[in-house]
Amino acid sequence: MSDELDEIQAIFFEECAEGLVTAEQGLSAMQAGDVSAEVIAGVFRAVHSIKGGAGAFGHADLTAFAHKFENVLDEVRGGKIPPSPGVVKVMLSAFDILTDHVESAKGLAPRPADEAALAALEQVLANKGADDGAPAAAPAPAPVAVEAPAAPAPAAEADEFGFVPMAVSLDDFDAPAEAPAADAWWIVTFKPSRAALANAGEPLLIIRELETLGAEILSVDTETVPPLRDLDPEDAYFTWTLRVPGEVAEGDINDCFDFVAPDSLVEVRRDEAPAPAAAPVAEAPAADTGADEFGFVPVSAPIEDFAAEMQRVVETIAAASPPIGSVETPSIAPKAGGDAAQQTIRVDLGKLDLLLNLVGELVIRNSILADRLSPADRQRVELPELARLTRQIQDNVMSLRAQPIKQAFSRVPRMLRDLSVETGKTINLETYGETTEVDKGVIEKIGDPLTHMIRNAADHGLESAEERIAAGKDPAGTIKLSAEQRGARIFVRVQDNGRGINRERVKAKAIEKGIISADAVLSNEEIDQLICAPGFSTAETISNISGRGVGMDVVRSNVEALGGRVEIHSVPGEGTTFTMILPLTLAILDGMIVRLAGQRFVLPLAHVLETVQPEPGQVKRTSPDSEVIDMRGEYVPVKRATEIFGLNDDRAVEDSLVVIVESEAHGKVGLVVDTIDDRREVVIKSLDQNLHPIRGLGGATILGDGSIALILDIEALVASTNRYTPKGMAA
Amino acid sequence: MTDTNDNAGTDRKIVTFSLAQQTFGIDMRALIEIREWDEPTPLPNVPGFIKGVTNLRGNVIPVVGLAERLGWEPSAIHARSCVLVVNIAGKQAGFLVDEVNDIVAIGETEIQPAPEVETIEPSVIAGLVRIATRQKDGTRDEKGTMVLLLDLDALSLTKHLDLAA
Repeated sequence: MSDELDEIQAIFFEECAEGLVTAEQGLSAMQAGDVSAEVIAGVFRAVHSIKGGAGAFGHADLTAFAHKFENVLDEVRGGKIPPSPGVVKVMLSAFDILTDHVESAKGLAPRPADEAALAALEQVLANKGADDGAPAAAPAPAPVAVEAPAAPAPAAEADEFGFVPMAVSLDDFDAPAEAPAADAWWIVTFKPSRAALANAGEPLLIIRELETLGAEILSVDTETVPPLRDLDPEDAYFTWTLRVPGEVAEGDINDCFDFVAPDSLVEVRRDEAPAPAAAPVAEAPAADTGADEFGFVPVSAPIEDFAAEMQRVVETIAAASPPIGSVETPSIAPKAGGDAAQQTIRVDLGKLDLLLNLVGELVIRNSILADRLSPADRQRVELPELARLTRQIQDNVMSLRAQPIKQAFSRVPRMLRDLSVETGKTINLETYGETTEVDKGVIEKIGDPLTHMIRNAADHGLESAEERIAAGKDPAGTIKLSAEQRGARIFVRVQDNGRGINRERVKAKAIEKGIISADAVLSNEEIDQLICAPGFSTAETISNISGRGVGMDVVRSNVEALGGRVEIHSVPGEGTTFTMILPLTLAILDGMIVRLAGQRFVLPLAHVLETVQPEPGQVKRTSPDSEVIDMRGEYVPVKRATEIFGLNDDRAVEDSLVVIVESEAHGKVGLVVDTIDDRREVVIKSLDQNLHPIRGLGGATILGDGSIALILDIEALVASTNRYTPKGMAA
Repeated sequence: MTDTNDNAGTDRKIVTFSLAQQTFGIDMRALIEIREWDEPTPLPNVPGFIKGVTNLRGNVIPVVGLAERLGWEPSAIHARSCVLVVNIAGKQAGFLVDEVNDIVAIGETEIQPAPEVETIEPSVIAGLVRIATRQKDGTRDEKGTMVLLLDLDALSLTKHLDLAA
């Protein structure tokens, strides 16, 4: 039982996380100047649903804080508080505290100090003059599932048409005959989402709850009830317009809607006209001619008429529909589009991973089959067709795991706000390419590296405002965060416009720390790379942000463990760019099977430009341990992977093949291989799953015969030279 | 083999195997399976005791020359050579051993601590225990054999490689 609760609670926290992301995006947009009603409403809904869930699970602190936050948002939404930059700033701080509260509710963090944020919110509320005075009490508990009394006669006929849920509710619509006198009313429009019933968001319960506040139904809009053939008895179609006595606090009304299904329309506003029977100005467009027929019940209609009206609607529908026999089962009737909520499901990631592994196995079995069958047999058993289907399944499973990189970027704004406070620097964040889709596994694993890169940029990269002014720069520093896909790789960049890497100091520090020898001759790039060496830190004082000398080392090792690498580009005085180059997927690779000293390796095809069988004299030595190949007049450096890997190889270069590969960091390079066996897709098995990442290898794969071939990491191979290997950087 | 009574609590089962003329034991719970020796795919840039990687039902697992890892002479491969596939802290690895002997139950209390002197990494041996060994003719050798119990966590490849990297 408690397990079940934990499970539900886990879903709540997932939803919290999503809500927080939404809220932050909205707030960031507001900060950037987009204060459209839609954006504000989005933030409001997110905070509101966090509050609702928190209340249900008894997280009182979270609830109370979210409630206050929500009050401010509500006023902003209602136009009573202008979304000025100051107000947005308060809300951003409140958002940060809200995030902390969620962490605290999860038990991962102590209860945050929210007094300042609460006071600031209070201040904002007070300043606009009027407060709705809603007490910061826990919201209404989950509505008790009171069984609706069995519907009397009128529903019987409807039953046959699967109309039960709506018909039942009719009896409960008995509004008080006389409206209590009040100078103003709340007009509440409630249109549950189509999926409300499926999501256990029984509208009736909500309306009952509203009625306890003195609400009465003004009208029910049945306009959207479709013809019977399209009617899904599981769907909710009505829109209710109710009025609630003006003395009821708006917060209390909103509390009734804590548990509405997502995408439901809830609108609470003051009725400007005092006349209680004013026609509702619901969101319903001017009714088309068919609407009346479906019983747009006028406000003044007595309830009995309403029931009769419903009856008539049902009959009309029945009459207008073909005989039941030819009607498709309503439950499988096509649903109208626009109900995104119902088209997504939550799936345990573990299940997806298992599926992906199984599909990987299937791919391997496919190639085993292909290996064992003669070409004629392959055709006869339609192996190509099977392979194509397998491939499609694989692509689809892969796409299930693809997520926008936004998820990894979402924590950056918060981090920068904190960093901004800690460092006293004003930092602008620009993000690009947030929608770039990356494998979920990659997203999860770049979080830490990204954090370190951002901290590094904010702490070391950007100068203080004084320094920046002295250098003739904008006192506010800028960090650009971007993602883009290039081929099978994802580039994630963190670019600052700060002071750039001080190479003299980096080198001096590296010598002092014994990372390099004092007489080492290093190129600028090599010096920059030292930042990522273990135990390196140049910060004069170790701040609590970065400077413990673990940060960039962690970045490099994490990224390399993913089969990626880190590039550093720095221009003194102009800034530094860190680029994480990551594989698009962790699971599959188009590869060329080559042999090195007789052993099979996989060379990622994405890097291969061409293959040549060198003529005598085409490969020339430029030093005792470096060679070039003459490619139609262009001299391309040649590397022997066998030497880098320490494999015995006495084969003359003329008996070998040279595969010209394109590397990101070093341009064209020729790799000497014995032969090329095959070209095929391989499933990447990471070496660190059971071992440890190995420099020069991107993983391993299982070939058709069950044996293992190692996957070459071109970038690492090309980057390794015999000339210079910094201590502590070799694996 | 003895009873399978888990309630005893103090009893646990170990797999014994020979390596470099010694008898070693590992906890049965860590053992996934025993495989015949099959030449693994060699890896570049790894310590010599890592013989390479092999395919265990679609998983790529490292194969370790346990003798070298423990500082003994490398095992010569022969007909009875086999690989113990074990689970160490969620990671799988294969250990090349000379011969698998038996599965025996030992009492927690029978385990003596290993003397402090032995290797560079004193923690590799978790303890010593004396077991009665079965002879080829089925009788028991009452004198018994000393078994060196290995501490698998200390043999974790990741731990070792982190230091080496």
